[in-house]
Amino acid sequence: MVDITTVSPQPIQEPRLTQRGRRWFVGIAVLAALVVGSVFAFVTFQPIQVLPRVRLAPGFSLVDSEGRSLTSEDMRGRFALYTFSYSSCVTCDSIDQTMREVQEGLASAELRGFEVALVTISVDPAETPESMASYAESVGADPEVWAFATVNDQRFLADVVAGGFGTYFSLGDDGIITLDRSFVLVDGAGIIRNEYKYATQASDSERILRHLGVLAEEEANSHGPAGLAYEAAHLFLCYAP
Amino acid sequence: MTETLVPEAEHPSSRRWLGLSVLLVPLLIAGLVFWWGFNRSQPHQFSGSVIQGLSAAPDFTLSSDRGPVSLSDYAGRIVMIYFGYTFCPDVCPTTLADAAAAIDSLSDDDAEDVQLIFVTIDPARDTADRLGEYVRHFDDRFVGLTGTEEEIGSVATLYGIYYRAGEGSEATGYLMEHTATLLVIDQAGNLKIVIPFGVESDAIASDLEYMLR
Repeated sequence: MVDITTVSPQPIQEPRLTQRGRRWFVGIAVLAALVVGSVFAFVTFQPIQVLPRVRLAPGFSLVDSEGRSLTSEDMRGRFALYTFSYSSCVTCDSIDQTMREVQEGLASAELRGFEVALVTISVDPAETPESMASYAESVGADPEVWAFATVNDQRFLADVVAGGFGTYFSLGDDGIITLDRSFVLVDGAGIIRNEYKYATQASDSERILRHLGVLAEEEANSHGPAGLAYEAAHLFLCYAP
Repeated sequence: MTETLVPEAEHPSSRRWLGLSVLLVPLLIAGLVFWWGFNRSQPHQFSGSVIQGLSAAPDFTLSSDRGPVSLSDYAGRIVMIYFGYTFCPDVCPTTLADAAAAIDSLSDDDAEDVQLIFVTIDPARDTADRLGEYVRHFDDRFVGLTGTEEEIGSVATLYGIYYRAGEGSEATGYLMEHTATLLVIDQAGNLKIVIPFGVESDAIASDLEYMLR
């Protein structure tokens, strides 16, 4: 007689397989939970913060206070902070004050060796290099850091300032200029990374200096595999306040 | 003897293999699905700067040798825009050749969804006919556009392009200084990638493939 029941292990094997399957299931579930948890922690705690890539900064060729050409290509590879004003403006003190505070703060900002340029673009079509030079001197601009520039072509100026930098200004028939207060931070690739148009608890200069540090950190660290972490920060909108 | 009478399929080792197979095959399939999903979802490293937000590319209408062309004519397709000029000795032909090679490497269906527009920054010398002939030398599907100085100036400014007539020689005529970025607009009409000069065709093709997924 052959006793098959004694050699068939089926009743014993089934529970073993189920148990092994359960282990796999638990393993995969733990792995999935870890991945989801990591993403959640990354988004919540934001170990990496970045500034958004808002849009392209305009291309331009202007004339500075020394009568030299100042172009958007000259700014390539440097962080640039733009603002808009004009030498005869009587209400632009706070704009100049913010630029001066940024200029003074650059020495102690964590820029990791990256160069920063400040540029005031005059929206007055009657502006000359000489009037801009006097203006620059009156507001304490360091010519190595802070440039003043314009172009005597109203249409081109409108394309650059209003169209490209998104800053409203108008020139009335009576010659009166209406201008919005605005600062625009552009990275070395010519992409606008932040705009400062509205008052916040922190002053504009404080935020701009902090954001320059954030930009410098991204520029210094986002190469190789770390670049993926920075792209994830952009993807999950981990933006510096 | 007991062993000789046990049916083959019911041998303990066969049953173990059967059990393992039942477990491993679905796991293998799950692994492949996971790998495929991971590959599709992992962040793609673009060859240029990516503009994450919605930055609508400004529409424009300029002239080609086959009539007026607007950016909006290509709505729903990926549009690469390059600003250059036909007398350009090196940078422009290199970029156009790389862009053509990138599009060529795509499948026919994908290539249909990509359009390159070449906008001259030297309208004084680049007529529509000359531009058409020039761009089709690189790819029959390319479009070359020109316009008045004012029209070109406005479009170039809004696309972050600086240009100016510079020095040259008797042989070349004057040369143009200009920003040499290749701009990529996605299917929704948003400016998405700013590719610097020097990126090779493989990397451009990889970006296009990713955007076409």
